[in-house]
Formats: sequence, C-alpha cells, structure tokens
Amino acid sequence: MCDIIWCKDCDTVNYLDPYYFWNWEGKIKCAGCENVYYIYMIQGHMYKGPEKKPGEKEDILPVYADKPNEGYEEILPGTEGKTRPYNCLPRHIYLGEADMVKFSARGRPVRGWRPQPPSTGVAGSCGFTWDIQKLSPEVWEEYQEKVKKGEVGDW
Amino acid sequence: MKDQRVTRIEDLPGPKSQGELEEMKMPYEEWCRKVFAPGQEKTKPESLKGIRWLSTTMYIFTPHSVANLAELGAECIKIEMPRMGDPMRHTSPFNECYLYPLHDSRPMTGTGLGFTNANSNEYYITMDYHVDEMKEAFYRLVKLSDGLTECYRPGTFDRWKQSYRYLQELNPRFIYVWGGGFGYGPKVFGGSYDILGQAHAGLASVTGFHEDFGGHCTKHSNWCIDWYSGTQITVAMLAALYWRRKTGLGTMIEFSQVQAATRCLGYAAPLYGRFGIVRQRWGNWDTQLCVHGIILCGKSDYPDEANPQLKYEARYVVVSAFNDPDFKELCAIVGRNDLWDQYKTLQDRVKPEAQMVIYKALEDWAADKTRSEVVKTLTDAGLLAMPVMNDKEVYESEHFRQRGTIRWLDDPVFGDVLIHSGYSCGLMSKTPRRVNWIWRPVGADNVKIYHEMLGYPMSQVEQWYEKNLI
Repeated sequence: MCDIIWCKDCDTVNYLDPYYFWNWEGKIKCAGCENVYYIYMIQGHMYKGPEKKPGEKEDILPVYADKPNEGYEEILPGTEGKTRPYNCLPRHIYLGEADMVKFSARGRPVRGWRPQPPSTGVAGSCGFTWDIQKLSPEVWEEYQEKVKKGEVGDW
Repeated sequence: MKDQRVTRIEDLPGPKSQGELEEMKMPYEEWCRKVFAPGQEKTKPESLKGIRWLSTTMYIFTPHSVANLAELGAECIKIEMPRMGDPMRHTSPFNECYLYPLHDSRPMTGTGLGFTNANSNEYYITMDYHVDEMKEAFYRLVKLSDGLTECYRPGTFDRWKQSYRYLQELNPRFIYVWGGGFGYGPKVFGGSYDILGQAHAGLASVTGFHEDFGGHCTKHSNWCIDWYSGTQITVAMLAALYWRRKTGLGTMIEFSQVQAATRCLGYAAPLYGRFGIVRQRWGNWDTQLCVHGIILCGKSDYPDEANPQLKYEARYVVVSAFNDPDFKELCAIVGRNDLWDQYKTLQDRVKPEAQMVIYKALEDWAADKTRSEVVKTLTDAGLLAMPVMNDKEVYESEHFRQRGTIRWLDDPVFGDVLIHSGYSCGLMSKTPRRVNWIWRPVGADNVKIYHEMLGYPMSQVEQWYEKNLI
C-alpha cells in the first residue's frame, strides 16, 4: 500500500512511501516536472494536501514514479533529481547495471566484463583454467602496468 | 655389554620423563597454528573423497547442502537447466551480474555473486532430465552415484519417474534428499523461500524490536534460514552415509525448510506449552541477561567516508555487563550510580521496565561519543564491549585474517575473488575443508561427465546439445 501524488500537469504518478504507517509533513517535488506539493500524512492518511507550492524548495523526492497514460513509462528509484536517492547504498556502485570490472579490490584480474570470448569446448564445456595471457591479452597488459605501478596488493 | 634385548628409555630419542615430556611440548597456540595452518589445506587429504553426489537444486538452501559435501572432498555434480542454469545465478545482489561468461552461447550474461558459497567445488553439467530422451543418462548417473539432492515440488520427481521410489530400485544404496518448503501434509504444494521459512516457523515474529519501541517483526537481511537448513540437510546426509555403511541401504531424507527454522526458536514452544505465553520480540536486548545488548552511539567512526554504511551505520556497540560487579562498574563509568542502587540483582535488572531505563541511560551516555571511544572506555575498565562490525571491518580484522576465515582465492576461471565459505565452517586438523573454485560456467563439464565418465560418444553429446537437451 502506498499513497500517491498524481501530478495533472505532466500526468505523472508519484509514489510516496511504501509503508502504511507513514507520519510525515513536508514538500515533495514531482518526478515529471518542477511542481512542488505540500502534504501532511498521519498514520498513512492524507490529512492535508497535496497542495501546489510553486517556487518553494522540496524536502524530499518521491520513491518512484510512472506515467500510466504514456505506456507506463517508469522513473526508477534513485534517478538523479527526480526520485529519492538510496541513502543506504552507494549509488556510484549500485546503478542497476553490471559494473564491468577487470580487477578486484586488491588489483588482480577478475573476469567481470562482457562480452567474453566463447571458450570453444563441445556442448558449452570449458577448461579448468582461464589463461588470461592468451584469452584476454589486453587485460594481461593492463595488469602488468598495474604491477609496475605498485597497484597490486596482497590484501 | 649392553643387552640388546632390553630397551632402555635413556637410549630412546625424545623426552625421558613425564616432566621432560611436558617441557618439550610446544605451546598450545603454536601447535594450533601448525596443525590447522590456514593456506595449507590442499596439502592434506579430503575426508569425503570417494563420495559422488548429484545436485538438481536451485537457489541457496538445497545447493548449500551439497556444497558442504563438495568442500569436504566429495565429487558433486550440479545438473542445471540447459543454457540458463540455476536461477540464483541471475538474482543477486540486485539482479546484477559480476562474473562472466554464464555459458558459451551467452557471452553477454554472467553470474551474480549471490551464487557464491552455495556451489563451490562442483562439476557443472546441463540436462533437461524430465524428457524421455535423457532418462537413460540420468539413471546411469544415479547408478554411479551415492546420492542426490533435489528441490522440486513434492511429487514432481515421482511424476517424472525419478523419485526415491524409482531410484532405489536402480541403486538400493542410493541416498535421496528432497529439500523444499513444507513437505507432505496440508501445505504440500507450498514452495519456499528463506523469508517464508523465517515467517512460517515464527522466527521473524521474535526478531526485531517490539512495536512499543517502533519495531516490527523482522527478517534477517541475509538468507540465514537457507544457509542454516542447508547445513542441517548435510548433517542428515552424513548420518545416512554412516547408516549405509552399517546396513548397505540408502535412505530418503525429506527436509522441510520451514520445519528446520523452528529449531532456532529456543524456548518459544516449551514456554507456550507450559504457560500459554506467546514469546515476544526483544530486539537487541536480551531476555535472560542485562546488560547484554547492542547500544547506539552518537558519532560514527568514519564521519568522512562516502559510503553511508560506514558514515552513518558504524555506531553500534555490543555491551555486556550482567553480573553484579560488572554492572556496578558500568554504572560508575556512565555516571549513574543511582542505577546500581536501584537494580542491585540480575533479577531486578532483567525486568523489561528496568532494561528500558538502563539501556536508555547507556545510550544517553554514548550520545556524544564515537563507537571506538565507547569500546575503549568499557574495555579499559575490564568490561566486555565489541563494535558491531561491517564487511569492511571483517575483511580488515586480524582475527579472521590469521585464522584464514576470509581470504582471496585465485579462481581458475573467474580470477581474483574474496571468499569465506568453506573456511568459515570450523577448522579440521587432518582433513580440512577447502575451496578449489567458486563455480564454473553453465555446462562447463558436459564433456567430462557425459563423455569421459558415462562414455557417451562425442557425436551423441553434440546431438543432445543441438537439441537443447543438455
């Protein structure tokens, strides 16, 4: 259960909070346009608002938003300037996309990028060793550079 | 002339008396370091070598029961869905993939780190075992194996003619494990997830703070009941293997995950049975001891870190001072000798009303202090205090590092990964657990198993592969 602010100017549904017990008073900016709405909720009931407050600064952003009349275009949580950032997570890491790393935290090669070359075995089978020098020579080169610069540690 | 038939203790090497023996023994600490020797696991034998186990499992709960065997040296064969693999490969954390490739035909897809620890050291083949064409290969694997773990809805394998009732006719020594949500009975069709186990068994209802303090029933962030009940299955498997040594007969193990979770509930059921009292949540405090809980400090240990988990969360401390002299000392430190005057016995302190007063006083005292200041002050006074550590601190902890609990593994296929898995499960001096590889791509061992072990010609393997049967 979740209360919403349906901004009629840009036809965006802003989802406020996933909890039914929300007690909150403040201003929320629409994820689809620049409108700012004042609301006052007591135990999940909209006691006052939403009232438009043009020109005022918002307190928080909605958790999530979508545009049901435009083919359910979604504005995902954590979209900068539109929906609320995750406070509990480092957004520069968790962007909802795979992070293409080539090296682990201590600087050694890790097979974390795509696409990967097929391993050539029959029926999808593959050998027991990833010969990095042979299969990924460019990563091997980069690794040698890191070793020279002293960026590879034991821990 | 010495009589050669007589052995004199003086002529033998080594200690000459009980006293000398005691003197020559190395200190216990040194002995432990020598016999457990983290990092030397692979120079020692494996206790379960010779056991072969099949794993037609998914997610964490049932796979983990087999990974336990594999880390102890059993040859475990994980059978996955062709091209796709175990759904757990695609699920976490946050549906992101970290290690590539998943499979030869899918170079853009990888496996998420949530798959780690539940499937170490296994061989990975693919098979659509429910079609008739693959039945022969499946049965031949069964004949050559000691056991199988599966996680389908009850009766599914029976419908596919591969349940224990069928397999014991092929191999009477076969040990068969069904692991799933509810098992036979009124909820036979209920599937399971860890959260369901925590909820249905009543574990979530006693986890977290009481609603009076703004808490709600809570599930553990990690899938602790998956890991826990998977390990419980392994205990049953080892007992079944021992029973088979005595009788020559296999067993079926029927393992309901929600049932396993009730075992974590301690005194909840006996309490209800005796007094009709429903156990309640008591959060980070303790129902038997006070002070013996987690308190919140005002300042973070890492105020300048970008990661909010460090910046805001590194503020909790476990404090334990439940016996009378310790509690008296604690009251003196926080400047509340009145609390000592008021609650002089454990019986007084452990009451809910008293705990509310005492923990509030502790948090008031800690409100202008960092976590490490609180720990230092209390430890210096001889009290037990320990920061609630996060992953970064566990990684950096000298204790875990020296014992090899958490360590880097140069995975043969995926490169450098940080793991704990096998090394967090207790040390064994003669036959330690080990992690050889975290996992392998989907179907990576198809040729090894179908061709080299079962003896099917390569043309047959290729034909199955083209038809998506493996």
